[in-house]
Amino acid sequence: MKELLRMEQITKQFGNVYANRNINLSVKEGEVHTLLGENGAGKSTLMNILIGLYQPTAGTIYLHGEKVKIDSPKAAVKMGVGMVHQHFMLVEAMTVLENIILGSRKDSSVFIKKDQVRKEILALSEKYGLDVELDKQITEISVGAQQRVEILKALYRGAELLILDEPTAALTDIEAEGLFAIIRKLTGEQKSVIFISHKMREVLSISDRITILRAGETVTTLNKEDTDGTQLANLMIGREMVPSNYKKVTATGDEVLSFQNISYQKQHKHSGLNEVSLTVRKGEILGIAGVDGNGQSQLAQLAAGIIAPEEGTVLLKTSRVSRFAPNGFILSHVSHVPEDRNKMGLIGNMTVRENLILKATEEARFSYGHGALLKNKAITKFALEMQSKNDIRCASIEQEVRNLSGGNQQKVILAREMENDPELLIAVHPTRGLDIGAARYVHDTMVAARDQGCAILLISADFDEILNLSDRILVMFEGQVMGTYSGINPPIEQISLAMAGKGN
Amino acid sequence: MKQKENLMKVIVPVLSILVAFIIGGIIIICLGKNPFQAYGFLFSGAFGSSRKIAQTLVIACPLIFTGLTAAFSYKCGVFNLGGEGQFVMGAVASIFFVTKSGIGGIAGILLSLLVGAAAGAVWGAIPGILKITRGLNEMIVSIMLNYVATLFMGYVYTTLLRDGSVPQTFAIPDSTKLSVISKSFPVHWGVWIALFLAFAGYYFLYYTSKGFKLRAVGLNSTAAFFNGFPVNRYVLFSFIASGAVAGLGGSVELHGKQLRLMGGFGQGFGFDGVAIALIAQLNPIGTAAVAFIFAVLRKGASTLQTGMQIPTAVVDIIQALVIIFAVAGTALLKLPAIRQYINSHMGKKEVTN
Repeated sequence: MKELLRMEQITKQFGNVYANRNINLSVKEGEVHTLLGENGAGKSTLMNILIGLYQPTAGTIYLHGEKVKIDSPKAAVKMGVGMVHQHFMLVEAMTVLENIILGSRKDSSVFIKKDQVRKEILALSEKYGLDVELDKQITEISVGAQQRVEILKALYRGAELLILDEPTAALTDIEAEGLFAIIRKLTGEQKSVIFISHKMREVLSISDRITILRAGETVTTLNKEDTDGTQLANLMIGREMVPSNYKKVTATGDEVLSFQNISYQKQHKHSGLNEVSLTVRKGEILGIAGVDGNGQSQLAQLAAGIIAPEEGTVLLKTSRVSRFAPNGFILSHVSHVPEDRNKMGLIGNMTVRENLILKATEEARFSYGHGALLKNKAITKFALEMQSKNDIRCASIEQEVRNLSGGNQQKVILAREMENDPELLIAVHPTRGLDIGAARYVHDTMVAARDQGCAILLISADFDEILNLSDRILVMFEGQVMGTYSGINPPIEQISLAMAGKGN
Repeated sequence: MKQKENLMKVIVPVLSILVAFIIGGIIIICLGKNPFQAYGFLFSGAFGSSRKIAQTLVIACPLIFTGLTAAFSYKCGVFNLGGEGQFVMGAVASIFFVTKSGIGGIAGILLSLLVGAAAGAVWGAIPGILKITRGLNEMIVSIMLNYVATLFMGYVYTTLLRDGSVPQTFAIPDSTKLSVISKSFPVHWGVWIALFLAFAGYYFLYYTSKGFKLRAVGLNSTAAFFNGFPVNRYVLFSFIASGAVAGLGGSVELHGKQLRLMGGFGQGFGFDGVAIALIAQLNPIGTAAVAFIFAVLRKGASTLQTGMQIPTAVVDIIQALVIIFAVAGTALLKLPAIRQYINSHMGKKEVTN
């Protein structure tokens, strides 16, 4: 088979951070080539370079053996590169036909030759089995059909190389099978597909070759025949056992939080929960491992009372929760370090001082008469104490918190949340984007809280963090619990496989 | 940092007023008049005697109310543009109350003011409820309700409470007029109510827990919700409270100044209030101050016309320029380049780590 695309030594730098570093990728004609890697491994950056959204800092791209410069998405389309994004780029208020021809300029006529266009599209759709109803509005058709529209759109513009970014994320199993049939037809016509996924089962069923990325670099490229799921999982996660810095415990205390068969929007594999049961005991850290977007956000929000389950029971300190509202959970001493600190945790335009007392303004130490008059002096004194105790680096506690660095913002949140004498702490990606020092501080604080009897639910996409801190590890995949493992000498291989959807 | 930003919050409106006056002066020169003399007339018209100062204050009074209405809702992150409708509905409810109930004297006034505030609150609650329950845009709903209120008032003064042949209502009974402080300083008590509200609003927003939470909801409702604040309740409260302030303003205007309803009552006050609140950076006390400046311009404008034959439109231009410069100045301060410049040239450098 001839080579269609070759990306050589591609490097992309954002500031001092390398999103891609000397990546090599070669795709043959008629091949399904899978890019495999964790979140943040550099897959999206690489694809954005290929479709002209980013310019590489260094490196060259060859198409059909010729060196090309893809300086805009338009240029990419011209060269026959089409992408179907994970989140579809369709205009919902328009019909399927209108969406397909939107923005394409096949001839220079002012008018749209609808009949002719319709014929062309129907021909394409028959050829590849892309079954769509051209006159329906996007809102009226299923997610699977929307994806077929996206593929048709790319093919109509003459795509030779089709990039599918996590195409099965939103699909049911049957729809996914249909998609694979389409992909096989495409490759039968010598079109090439770059398939992005981290689901081992699919990857092994559809790919010809697999390139594994890790931390912005190419690990290796393998033929499907020469590998198996275990090897891929290990290469993708790429770690051996790191000895933990913290002492692990086996908790026997009371159950603080317990989920019993919780379901929430089960039909959504990536933003729902399906029959999840778990318990967190006093004085232990339960780590939720899993690739981002397998229901972890929803799990955290349920545990914090932000959203209510559709089925199942939540027990908080052995009493059944009937009303899901954050305030009730806060009053039961549930603290929450949310996944998005700026959006969910902090009021960016308020000062450090104000953010530190966000939840406590009605307490007697900060105000007279349940909040009727704030004790500004006491608040300032408290804020200064918190600042020095938690090493929050800011010009002044009167500084707006949005001007702080991520690590210091996280310290503000942590300081506030630990002040609530938490019996349960929910920490979601607590060290995401933090430097080593700040991350270490966050970890130390969490372990210290555990040792004082706090139950901690740790959710993180950083596997090292999970291994390092968790007393027990629970793996989530597509909204389901894949298994629970001990945090003491955890079986890394089993966990990696579970994270990729291969249960025991 | 904070002090610096607070300082800028005062400097921007002051500067924008100054620049607007300078440009206004250039326009006056173009009209062939002496700008210094003209401004002399303007200010003497507004401040020339205690009587004139009192009249200026009376003009400022309704603007303070509608300015506070806007400031209060914007602080909670919702845009109540229905100040005018709420103002009008307050006055309509009050005049119904005083003409139909027959209660006079202090009791009559107090009850009437309460009824007016309640009517404004109800009128303000409508867009709030529709926003929370149905997700409708509060700006559109509240603007539309302005027309409903104005037309309803028209029905009242042309039909329901019409006073003889003239399309206006009966005057309110003498015993329910808001009394003035003294003959030589004829400011009705409503002005003090307005000023009291400005200070009370400031106290509420910056010195109470509820006000703190309301501001938090306005700045980041998601984080406010995550931190356990009942976001919808605060949104609804801010609509109701701001509506009540506008309704009270309408009632005060009726009892203190207009004494009856007729065409044009309350016209433009709602949007003037919005402009005033924005210039004052949503600070309630600042709102009262800016409302006073607007009143000075309005009071002085007539002196300018009679004394120097300069059309009042020039003053309208100055007023519009104040709004433009204040809004532009605030926007300018948000630009990263400007922020950096201010930070590096106005005091010690910031620690970012």
